[in-house]
Amino acid sequence: MKSNIFKILKKELRETIRDKKSLMMMLLMPFIIPAFAIGMSFFYEAMSDTPIENYNKLGFAYEVTDAEKLIFEELQIEPVYDNVDSLKEQYEKGEINLYITREDKTYTLHGDYDESTQMADALAMSYLEAYKVYLQSEYLVEQEINPLEVIDILRVQEDITMKKNPFVEMITQECFMFLIMALAMAAVYTTTDSIAGEKEKGTLETLLTFPVKSKDIILGKFLSISISSIVAGLLSIVLMLGSLFYLDGAFTIYEDANIIPSFQTICYMIFMVVIYSFFISGLCIAVASKTKTYKEAQSALTPVSFIAFIPSLIATLMGLKTTTVFSLIPFLNISLLFNDMIAGNINLINLALGTFSSLIFIVIVLSIIIKQYKSEKVLFSN
Amino acid sequence: MLEVKDVKKKFVRYTKDKKKEEFYADKGISFQAKEGTIVGILGPNGAGKTTLLRMIGGILEPTDGSIIIDKLNYDKNEIEIKKKIAYLSGNTKIYQSISGYELLKMCGELYDVPKSEIEGRISKISKELEMESFLHNRISNLSTGQTQRVNIARCLVHDPKYYILDEATSGLDIISSQVILDFIKKEKENGKIILYSTHYMEEAENICDYVIMIHKGLVIKEGTPEDIKKATKTTNLRDAFFTLIGGVENEK
Repeated sequence: MKSNIFKILKKELRETIRDKKSLMMMLLMPFIIPAFAIGMSFFYEAMSDTPIENYNKLGFAYEVTDAEKLIFEELQIEPVYDNVDSLKEQYEKGEINLYITREDKTYTLHGDYDESTQMADALAMSYLEAYKVYLQSEYLVEQEINPLEVIDILRVQEDITMKKNPFVEMITQECFMFLIMALAMAAVYTTTDSIAGEKEKGTLETLLTFPVKSKDIILGKFLSISISSIVAGLLSIVLMLGSLFYLDGAFTIYEDANIIPSFQTICYMIFMVVIYSFFISGLCIAVASKTKTYKEAQSALTPVSFIAFIPSLIATLMGLKTTTVFSLIPFLNISLLFNDMIAGNINLINLALGTFSSLIFIVIVLSIIIKQYKSEKVLFSN
Repeated sequence: MLEVKDVKKKFVRYTKDKKKEEFYADKGISFQAKEGTIVGILGPNGAGKTTLLRMIGGILEPTDGSIIIDKLNYDKNEIEIKKKIAYLSGNTKIYQSISGYELLKMCGELYDVPKSEIEGRISKISKELEMESFLHNRISNLSTGQTQRVNIARCLVHDPKYYILDEATSGLDIISSQVILDFIKKEKENGKIILYSTHYMEEAENICDYVIMIHKGLVIKEGTPEDIKKATKTTNLRDAFFTLIGGVENEK
């Protein structure tokens, strides 16, 4: 005899597959991942590789020396000489990227805080630094001192290797955000149809006449919602890995960086997707169990898809690290474990504690819903 | 045999000024139904018929009293009892995204009909109800009459002993209603127990062997249609009902 839970599960899955809206939501979000990852990579690459012509037009409201002109040539600065008012006007029109005024020995850099001005600012600072060194050298020569002995009084060597490519970190974090969103959305839409839809369509009464315990109905529905969420999560992982493989070879910003997750990380990822799917499905059923219509369920469940990010956002903003205590707090623990996974710092004890506390949470939530499901208040709005 | 003993059902509702108020939909109903009979549960809308049938069907739990079916009660034998029952109401909706065949197969599995028998039963039922031409069509694409046949068919798959039919003909056209009435008569001949609730008194008079008249959650009269008419000195159940409640004016 097949368990009634699996009979209900079969019924629910069949309905999910045949419901175009649920199916679309389950499959649509994962496909946003490659589009987003490629789009963002183009943006990051463009950002990191801005041609000098975009920020090298500097305005000078004073006369420059031949030495300064040589520095301009060296730094590829295109100087524009004019009075302050005219330079200001040219800056506002976007004809120059920044302008400099001088009063005695004080040089002032003028501009607004935007991308091209920021880069022009760095260029202007290089010019001023170089000119300062030139003036210092001139002075030392006049004093018959070898400038190299003073200016090169100490030498600095950098031995800092960039362990984490910031672009890799950003793109991975964004892909994970979409992954969480994809599985949350799949759970939300399937729950709406499975819980509120059954009431609104009037099939709940039919379901309750079957020789199936309410426990089996809830567990069958829970498994079906979880499976939809897991499918969305796994599809997201596949598409994410495919995107990362493509990005690795297609963009220079990822050169020399380890963008492809290790096999171990992929295994953790799959494990986390399963746990998170169970967790979010339990939460969705809990929220939707008292709703009676699609509209009510959608209003109640929409915040869940946003809430899915809040702990992750708080954890990132506050710089929280996974601790034993945090591992026991449902919702927060999953976000922290995801963050750890992105950073490649997976602690098995914290993972086990997080999994355990999430499973306990799911069991408690399902027990409450099973108890409530017998109540007329849940079943009949009238 | 079905025995309903002093069954009561209390609900909670909120008044216009948001005050919690308890009320009884059924205030203590008792009756028995034996094999091969059609028991009519009659009464106007809001009399407590649906609540009573939902309790007998195991959808709602009685606040008080007991329901015993073949010496089994819901507290200990919910699943066994439900396997003996088929519940069909005017409000009962069936899954639209599947075909009639898939629905019948799913019902067969849920009622633990042996796998080897399911196909045979579906084939027999679809032939009897003339459903073969649309058996594999999605229910959402069927007409009201065809959907109602599928609904009846799902009640037959597990060969139940008890049928609970709550306003099953309500809102149906004359042909679709007749399909249900024919089905009821046939199942009665097969020795089944049928609880048939309706507010159409004439319909009940034609098919019911025994009638229980309910008003405001209480049984106001029970007996065969002939006995009730005789006792109220009326010629039909409609007049009998109004005589029992003291007339329409009194009700208003």
